[in-house]
Amino acid sequence: MTFNPLEQRGIPLDRQLRNWRELNVQPIDPDRCDPYTRCRIITMNGIEVEAILFSHHLARNTVDPEVKRQLAQTRYIEAQQQKVVNWLLPGVSSVLETTIAYEQVAVDLTAWVARMEPDPYLKQAYEFGVLEDFDHLYRYANLYEMIEHRKAESIVDNLTEVMPGRPTKYHHRHPADNVRDPYAKDGTNPLSKLHALTILSAEQQTMNFYMNTGPTYMEPIARQLYQEIGLIEEEHVTHYESLVDPGETWWEQLVNHEYNECYLYYSFMEQESDPKVKAIWELHLNMELEHLHTACDLMRRFDGREPQEVLAPELPNVLTFEPNKQYLRELLDTQMDLTTLGAGYVREAHERFEKMQEQIHGGEEPPSERVMAEHQDMFGREYRVQSEGEHPDPAMREK
Amino acid sequence: MSQLHTPQAGDDQSDDLDVVALLMRQHGDIRNLFDQVEATTGDERREAFRQLVRLLAVHETAEEEVVHPFARQSMPGGRQIVEDRLAEEKAAKETLAALDDMDTDHPDFLPKLRALRTDVQEHARKEERYEFTHIRRSTDVTNLAAMAKAVKAAEAMAPTRPHPGVESGAANMALGPVAALMERTKDAVRKAMGKD
Repeated sequence: MTFNPLEQRGIPLDRQLRNWRELNVQPIDPDRCDPYTRCRIITMNGIEVEAILFSHHLARNTVDPEVKRQLAQTRYIEAQQQKVVNWLLPGVSSVLETTIAYEQVAVDLTAWVARMEPDPYLKQAYEFGVLEDFDHLYRYANLYEMIEHRKAESIVDNLTEVMPGRPTKYHHRHPADNVRDPYAKDGTNPLSKLHALTILSAEQQTMNFYMNTGPTYMEPIARQLYQEIGLIEEEHVTHYESLVDPGETWWEQLVNHEYNECYLYYSFMEQESDPKVKAIWELHLNMELEHLHTACDLMRRFDGREPQEVLAPELPNVLTFEPNKQYLRELLDTQMDLTTLGAGYVREAHERFEKMQEQIHGGEEPPSERVMAEHQDMFGREYRVQSEGEHPDPAMREK
Repeated sequence: MSQLHTPQAGDDQSDDLDVVALLMRQHGDIRNLFDQVEATTGDERREAFRQLVRLLAVHETAEEEVVHPFARQSMPGGRQIVEDRLAEEKAAKETLAALDDMDTDHPDFLPKLRALRTDVQEHARKEERYEFTHIRRSTDVTNLAAMAKAVKAAEAMAPTRPHPGVESGAANMALGPVAALMERTKDAVRKAMGKD
């Protein structure tokens, strides 16, 4: 790979503003699009939302009004980028359809990152989390068939299997056990920083999406399932954000954010099958290059350090959306019964976990179990897509 | 696609006490039939298309007889919303009639079908968002159930899966042309609504 964002120049910031006509993008066709195009859109929306929120937090912690103004300028462009990216999603999709696409992102993005992650502790964090999103996909897919009589495979298109992961009811852990240990900013592989930022952004967007769209449903089981999984998404944000070294300065974090956006737009530009969407990734990459240079200047000015000290010498291998079926099956075979204790993982249900479970379930089955019972009543079966054979865990095979 | 079969609304084991839930499942059934028509050829496509035409005819007629009159009366601005939906339905019916006269393996068939699919899907989502939401808000469980019963009466006019002992070809003949089917559906719905 020869692409080095630090050595490339993009579109000057004062030429990045788009008018209404340019913001009014043509959405993708939900019945005929490449499912991974939709996954890339959802991912980049999460990345842009994080960029905006991070910049707001930074601005609130910035005293110098001139720097605040500079941040506001870049942030406005990022807000336009978010609008263009997320408005590629079609209005004709239901919330539940988009939800299933969000879970496909969570599964195939996290699985790919886990496969590529060089640090074993971080890799374990992704492997642990992906089995939970995998189960959410299965629960929502069953809800989808109940409400809309549609199969999730019409969305995920056989690229991702749909079957039980670690059962959702066991995701409710004591909040203290959701906090991981961070990587060490000076010792870790720069790629690990990008991975952590990418996954925490995606999970944060999922959390935001469920917390806002869940109550738009009228069906009681749908409302309740969004509440349950929405709470787990908050746990996931806690889990992934705690992997980031809190010792990174604000400016270092800003540089990492901008560098990651360059990395992801470049990656998606390289693999995009839809030419109109590809053109957007390319345009946004050219905008991000300038945002990165602005961030680098701020880091030099306020930290007195060169951004090269914290960044990779060149862009890592492109981040890729592709099927991860065999990898996920290995995890299903070996990591179903894990939970967390402190910053580590255990196989037995410890006291703090048991107590949390007892309190949150209140002696009843949670929505994630009831949705399956209601689906069973309606169809006399479950909804699954097991294209590669039976579930690797005999206990999880359909009765 | 997996081998799992999603039964059509009315054939699943739902108690169907809510007209909105029932119609939303039917919207999915219609989408599934579009998939089936697109994915098949020859006789299989012809049969899938017949099913689609029947379900669309019955579904739209039931909405026109049951849902739209209620929305027109009970929702603020309901008259305009219903007029918009009726205009969309009229356009869809015209496309449907044109398709119905065409051989399903004709090169123009799929592009026209896809255009119809887009229109039908947009129409269905508009109903769900601008009409169904208000229906649930402005009526009670008894009325939701009564309307569901009327929609189910309509559906019985066009069995969408082959019934035992009935050749599907013979069933088609018995159902007659689309316009006649719509008329019979109207009568059945009115009877179920006690308007006869």
